[in-house]
Amino acid sequence: MLTPLELIKKKRAEAVNRIISKGYLSTKRVYVGMATCEIAAGSKEVMDIFRQAIANGLTDVYLSQKGCAGRCNLEPTVEVVEEGKIPVKYGKVTPERARQIVERHLKKGEVIAEWVI
Amino acid sequence: MKQTKYKLTLCDGTACIQGHSKQLRTALEAELSKHGLKDAVSIHLSGCLGMCKKGPILIVNPGYIMYGRVQVADIPEIVESHLLKNKAVTRLIISEDHLYNRFFRIFGDVDFFGKQMRIALRNCGVIDPENIDDYLSLRGYEALAKVLTEMTPEQVIAEVKKSGLRGRGGAGYPTGLKWELTAKQPGDEKYVICNADEGDPGAFMDRSLIEGDPHTVLEGMAVAGFAIGAKKGIIYIRAEYPLAIKRLEKAIAAAREHNFLGQNILGSNFSFDIEIRLGAGAFVCGEETALIHSIEGQRGMPRPRPPYPSVSGLFGKPTVINNVETWASIPVILLDGGDWFSTIGTATSKGTKVFAVAGKVKNTGLVEVPMGTTLREIVYDIGGGIPNGKQLKAIQTGGPSGGCLPVEYLDTEIDYESLAKAGSIMGSGGMIVIDEDTCMVSLAKFFIEFTQDESCGKCTPCREGTKRMLEILTRITKGKGEPGDIEKLERLGTMIKRSSLCGLGQSAPNPVLSTIKNFRKEYEDHILHKKCTAAQCTALLSYTVNDKCVGCGACKRACPVAAVEGTRKEKHTILQDKCIRCGRCYEACKFDAITRA
Repeated sequence: MLTPLELIKKKRAEAVNRIISKGYLSTKRVYVGMATCEIAAGSKEVMDIFRQAIANGLTDVYLSQKGCAGRCNLEPTVEVVEEGKIPVKYGKVTPERARQIVERHLKKGEVIAEWVI
Repeated sequence: MKQTKYKLTLCDGTACIQGHSKQLRTALEAELSKHGLKDAVSIHLSGCLGMCKKGPILIVNPGYIMYGRVQVADIPEIVESHLLKNKAVTRLIISEDHLYNRFFRIFGDVDFFGKQMRIALRNCGVIDPENIDDYLSLRGYEALAKVLTEMTPEQVIAEVKKSGLRGRGGAGYPTGLKWELTAKQPGDEKYVICNADEGDPGAFMDRSLIEGDPHTVLEGMAVAGFAIGAKKGIIYIRAEYPLAIKRLEKAIAAAREHNFLGQNILGSNFSFDIEIRLGAGAFVCGEETALIHSIEGQRGMPRPRPPYPSVSGLFGKPTVINNVETWASIPVILLDGGDWFSTIGTATSKGTKVFAVAGKVKNTGLVEVPMGTTLREIVYDIGGGIPNGKQLKAIQTGGPSGGCLPVEYLDTEIDYESLAKAGSIMGSGGMIVIDEDTCMVSLAKFFIEFTQDESCGKCTPCREGTKRMLEILTRITKGKGEPGDIEKLERLGTMIKRSSLCGLGQSAPNPVLSTIKNFRKEYEDHILHKKCTAAQCTALLSYTVNDKCVGCGACKRACPVAAVEGTRKEKHTILQDKCIRCGRCYEACKFDAITRA
């Protein structure tokens, strides 16, 4: 029988596989802040924009929610993480900004410097 | 922020500074300009990264390559090889598989996060809180598996004691000692409680932590259950945190599914389960004995201690009760080690503390810093200073139980003892930054109004005393203060502190007493000169029109009660008996023609 430590390592490997099967290894990973404070600042609408973009055919992007990192006055926040590149952190993301992030950053790779925290 | 090709982070902790990190920075800057890289590379400073033995530390992003024991002589090689040819210098690379500071990979280059060190909040803003796989992938529940596989309950308690962790709810009682006391009690029915009844105005540490990483709280509680021999844990959280509750419920369900909670956890003979109890939001229920009464279904009122909950707690059984942040630190202590944890912080206070920084500061937010960080670092380096060019006046810590520290205390190093010595308390982590536009008498009145309202009414000093204090403070802010009021407040405050039953009453006068101690002149101005220097107490203000008036009529249009009279292009006047002192005319005037006194 496996010890609890051996069991947890097995469970961890399974968890990692599940995350990967959901597309974690996509070129770009997008994280949207979804704590009470971020939702109050409008992050649900922002999340919807990213979800829609994926539903409408945007590929090679892994979308996830996350808790609050503590950057209250710049919420909602969105991070775009790409392997081998410095993670891009956007602040005060409105639905309009989210649309632009989809079009310019996720599709064309342009970092929109003026909204970066 | 400027996007550069490379971002370098130098550890600016004390140990790394002793290891010449300052010289490294100078050498780096010189080398960068030699190669014309100044615009392509930015240099950031971080607070202690917790790897002091391997310092000084230099991190190169992207890729999060970490160099250890970097010497000035290594700098040319790092710049030429890594930054110019994109070839990392392998002989200097170190790797650390620690739990803390996970956020750093993503946020390390933002100044707001640079000085922080995250142990309790390590996963907040990094993982999906509703997906247990995310938590598992970052060594989630490994601490629980570890204690079940290779530790005895005594060893777990010894490890927590060694870490020096103290309760993060405010009182700062050593966590390991609390567990030991409970473990030693006879009987096999014991309880573990998580106090998530966060009630300080302006505090949101517990909510953010639960919403960002609920599993760490469950794991910490299960570890304690093993250590003290309890089978049941209860999370007491206020109903006004619906999202936090939803995420906790989801986390508990997922943990049960994976057998991290329930019968024979992970195949061991340890069984433990957690349920949620909702509080109705009474502030006094954050006090442990009142909280226990509330869970038992009784009215949320405190009782005298001893006996402490570790002896006689929930349903009269031995109970460990800790705050959310304390629970979140437990997995880190067990995996990164109690010895390591005890190297962070000051002589008496170990580890880190989460603060909810709010008020008149540019970057409001949730910060976690090592104990020993100064208030100045929090307000200026992390908080970015005071907005609109205003002056800092005071810092309020500890919510309605805490005190106001004036600017002289800016270099106070944060730990339980030094904050208490300065006249405030650590509290659960509320921190309000106050600028010159805030009247300290009104602020004290606000807090007394809160505690007066939240007093459960069981003991007279708290019930009646806070009410009388509020009456005196209200009178002072209305311009009806009398000589002797300050002394009366001091006498009353000291009496309430000494004779109240629980922590609520014993600390309720603190905001008043500390503002009297540090800002006595403001009280005197209100009482003797009927003047509010911060111009916040409307009853003490008067508005008059001076000779700069050109008769434009802007004030007349702005006045909501038609208290301004005058014909166009002639000097206007304000009818004092009609004026409600709202200040709109003062703001509307472009000619500086309205005097506020």
